[in-house]
Amino acid sequence: MAMSDRDGTSVETGAPAIRCENVWQVFGSNAAQKLRAAQEATGGDRDATAERLQAEGLVPAVRDASFEVREGELFVIMGLSGSGKSTIIRCISRLLEASGGKIEIAGENILTANKARMIELRRDKLGMVFQHFGLFPHMTVAENVAFPLKMQGQGRKARLERAHEVIDLVGLSGREASYPRELSGGQRQRVGIARSLAVNPDIWFLDEPFSALDPLIRRQLQDEFIKIQATLRKSIVFITHDIAEALKIADRIAIMRDGKIVQIGTPTEIVLNPVDDYVREFSKDVVKGRHARIKSVLRPLSEAPETMPDDPGIRADMTLEAALAACMSCYEPVPVHDASGAVVGIVHPSDLAAALQVDEA
Amino acid sequence: MSAAGEGAGAVPGVTARLSRGTWAALVVLLTGALCMALAGKLPWLVKFPEAWALPMTQWVGQGMEWLLGLMKPAMRLVSAGLGVVMEAVNWLFNALPWPVLIGLVTGFGWWAGGLRLAALGGIGMSLVLASGYWTESMNTLSLVAVSVPLALIAGGAVGILAYEFPRIKGLVQGIMDVMQTVPTFAYLTPLLLLFGFGPVVGLIASAIYAAPPMARNVLLGLERVESDIKEAAIMSGGTRLQQLFLIEIPAAKTQIMVGVNQCLMAALSMVIIAAVIGGFEDIGWEVLLTMRKAQLGPSLLAGMVIVVFAVIIDRMSLHLAMTRERHDLRIAGAIAGVGVVVAILLWGRAAPGEVAVMEPAKQWLDTTLSRVLTRNAGTLDAIKNGAMFYGLLPVRIGLDGAVLPFTWGFQWTAAMSAWFLGAAALAGLALGLAGRITAGLVLLILAGVLETGVSELPWPFLLVAVAAIGWTAGGWRLAALTTGLMVLVLFSGLWQKALLSLYLAGVSVFACAVMGGLIGLASAASPMVWRVVRPICDMLQTIPLFVFLIPVLMFFQIGEFSAFLAICMYAIVPMIRYTRQGLVSTPDELIEAAISSGATSWQVMREVRAPYAAPTILLGLNQTILYAFAMLVIAALVGTTGLGQSIFLALGQADVGLGIVSGAAMAILALVADRLVQGFATKRRAALGL
Repeated sequence: MAMSDRDGTSVETGAPAIRCENVWQVFGSNAAQKLRAAQEATGGDRDATAERLQAEGLVPAVRDASFEVREGELFVIMGLSGSGKSTIIRCISRLLEASGGKIEIAGENILTANKARMIELRRDKLGMVFQHFGLFPHMTVAENVAFPLKMQGQGRKARLERAHEVIDLVGLSGREASYPRELSGGQRQRVGIARSLAVNPDIWFLDEPFSALDPLIRRQLQDEFIKIQATLRKSIVFITHDIAEALKIADRIAIMRDGKIVQIGTPTEIVLNPVDDYVREFSKDVVKGRHARIKSVLRPLSEAPETMPDDPGIRADMTLEAALAACMSCYEPVPVHDASGAVVGIVHPSDLAAALQVDEA
Repeated sequence: MSAAGEGAGAVPGVTARLSRGTWAALVVLLTGALCMALAGKLPWLVKFPEAWALPMTQWVGQGMEWLLGLMKPAMRLVSAGLGVVMEAVNWLFNALPWPVLIGLVTGFGWWAGGLRLAALGGIGMSLVLASGYWTESMNTLSLVAVSVPLALIAGGAVGILAYEFPRIKGLVQGIMDVMQTVPTFAYLTPLLLLFGFGPVVGLIASAIYAAPPMARNVLLGLERVESDIKEAAIMSGGTRLQQLFLIEIPAAKTQIMVGVNQCLMAALSMVIIAAVIGGFEDIGWEVLLTMRKAQLGPSLLAGMVIVVFAVIIDRMSLHLAMTRERHDLRIAGAIAGVGVVVAILLWGRAAPGEVAVMEPAKQWLDTTLSRVLTRNAGTLDAIKNGAMFYGLLPVRIGLDGAVLPFTWGFQWTAAMSAWFLGAAALAGLALGLAGRITAGLVLLILAGVLETGVSELPWPFLLVAVAAIGWTAGGWRLAALTTGLMVLVLFSGLWQKALLSLYLAGVSVFACAVMGGLIGLASAASPMVWRVVRPICDMLQTIPLFVFLIPVLMFFQIGEFSAFLAICMYAIVPMIRYTRQGLVSTPDELIEAAISSGATSWQVMREVRAPYAAPTILLGLNQTILYAFAMLVIAALVGTTGLGQSIFLALGQADVGLGIVSGAAMAILALVADRLVQGFATKRRAALGL
């Protein structure tokens, strides 16, 4: 997947696919009411409100979360367990009723939508994949995948046909008649993915879809997922606790901590400009060279020395790692070219090495 | 037989994908049709000729008498020994002034569970005192007090041995399974011969009955101790005995205490049942006596005393098992001390009989109840007759026998039979064409059974049906086992009575399954409903079997309908509990997956929760069946025909052969039903990958 065009996703309808504004999810009795009271008492201050709620014995799992998911964007929410990431995806899909705030899907406020409308939305527009697959044990692979279509009221033949298509898409052809218990973990999640895609939803929720899998299978499924997304271009909310996974697949990442969103940014921004120690901690073990581009250490042409003896052919969209490998034996600044080959700046090999240095805590 | 013809007509096109269940149903249907067709020419097909039966009762009777004769001298000695112990304990309980006992129970309640249990103990015991049945209650308590330690020691030892020697585990579990299904009254006849007439028989019977739950829970608890803990004990260098007594048994304490609780409840229940043999002025005897004399007030009060005891014993022992927190022993002591002080102050002045303030209330209750019942006799009779004529009787003797001008207003004719079966065949055909062939066949079979009546079913049909169900549920082995057991009953000479028992158990289980399933569903759907249903279930499960007879007798007198009601009241509880449990324990992710697929709550229930809960619900049905058979024998006290009646007859005549054979036949029916349902449950669980 090309990184360069990520930030410039075209917006067709104007409204983002999903917009969350000041969403709160508080657990406990009478949560919504107490939240409103606490917000009034504190003037809407996030931390003070949360403290107040906690003092009352309530659990504010999501605190004042705001973000947008653009159409066709793969938006990853990352955080440790208990940070509220699974809760927030359940608020958006309304498996939980948010205690406060506003959630819009394609411009429609879903918190005020009635039950029938929600069922309609889920049948036509939303798909969800679960951490532990959530496969129905009494149904075959094909029946599992066809279940959302059955809910839509499609006839048996039509829905099995469509199920076959999606099963083919996830590479499980031939296993239609198997039961979930007969499949390996990786295969089960393929069924989960196929089921969530059966109705061809516009919005795709994935709740730690690969976390329960072995590392090898996980990587394989991630690659296939990226391939599927490259053709389908869904608007996606993807939950994970794995920074490497987030950096690998995301267009943008939101990092959550204690129910709050602490930073939203592209993978490069997260790795190179963490807003606080918490985010830095995450990116510490990441090999930055694989995610950061030359752009981030580029110096203007005005700083160039008079002669640059070496030109190893560095381009602006190269990763730091690739650039460093190219100028292993250089000690002087080297020119950086853009796509057309024109020189747009220079880079010091020592800057590359410094940027790649892993933080020692 | 048009029915069979049409049923078979739907088949040829789909022969290739007939499932096992469909084949089984088809074979059963054909057998039934064949029996119906040949019934006129070959009467032995329908009614098993008595001449073919083996004289099993005599053989068993002679064998047992010889065996018992050998054991008798030793057993009589045991009996005498236990008699002495019992006398002593009985004397102690009766000599203990009532304020002291009330104080002790209340103090114990405080120590075990604080204010709530102390109040339960104090108020409960005061009620017993006020009811005027103090002496009888003390006699019952002393029986329990002697039988429970016996059961605890025996059960605990068996459990530990089964745990230590895995080779005997299977055997022990098999014996315990059988002991659980053999009706309690069936123990009594041989025990009566062994130990002679008297309360010691009841004591031993209740110890035998109460030991298996203890053994089961000890075994279960020990097996569930985490292997880390066991290994740590080994690595600490403990001997096997040290490991067992210092580590494993304490680690299994909670489960073992659950065993103690079940053991106590079983002993109490059995002590009261054993009162049937009489000879001891205990509270069970009082209930029986007043019931026989139709003294409603006194029998209701005596029943209440039993319930009070059951609740106190159950809640206190369960609390001891489930929580670790204990309350201040000094306050408990002080409460008991108050009892002692009161006893000294009242010394020689207030015998338990004199403080029985409810004595007048008893009379009032009696007359009021009689008046209310007499006034509503018409309604009650109408209910009873309606249920009998339009519900129970047709199932028992078939539509052809039950539909009479006297009750239904017209006579059932052969033409009606044809219409009825024809209609069923059409409905079956419709189901078959809709792709549900098995359901269609089963519908047709049920129609045939209703037409004929359960007690008049041809024996080949029933044997084939059992084999077919066994084959569907668990393959050839299960089919062979269940059919073999049924053949034993067939040749025992008690087949006709077994059919009657089967009919009553069947109707009750059916009613329980439908009602219990619906209540369970409602409880799963609405926490509000469960909040109401749950304490009722708890109560029904605490009450000793015997007590269920009192209210049904009061309203509907002696008869099959009363027995039916008593069985249902007792057997419905597991169905409710398991149905709810199964429905609410569906993993969250499955429900979320269904909801996010756009399922409505009803669709979630039907498509996800219900199939997921099926194995659990089947286990509930299984429990309901076992409960129904357990109650069936007790219900024979209020006048049912069938095996229960034979067991009582045997008890009255001290006929060991008849007692054991009819007890065994009853156990076989329960065991067969148990294995078949378990088979289906296992299959469903496997299908769900659980």
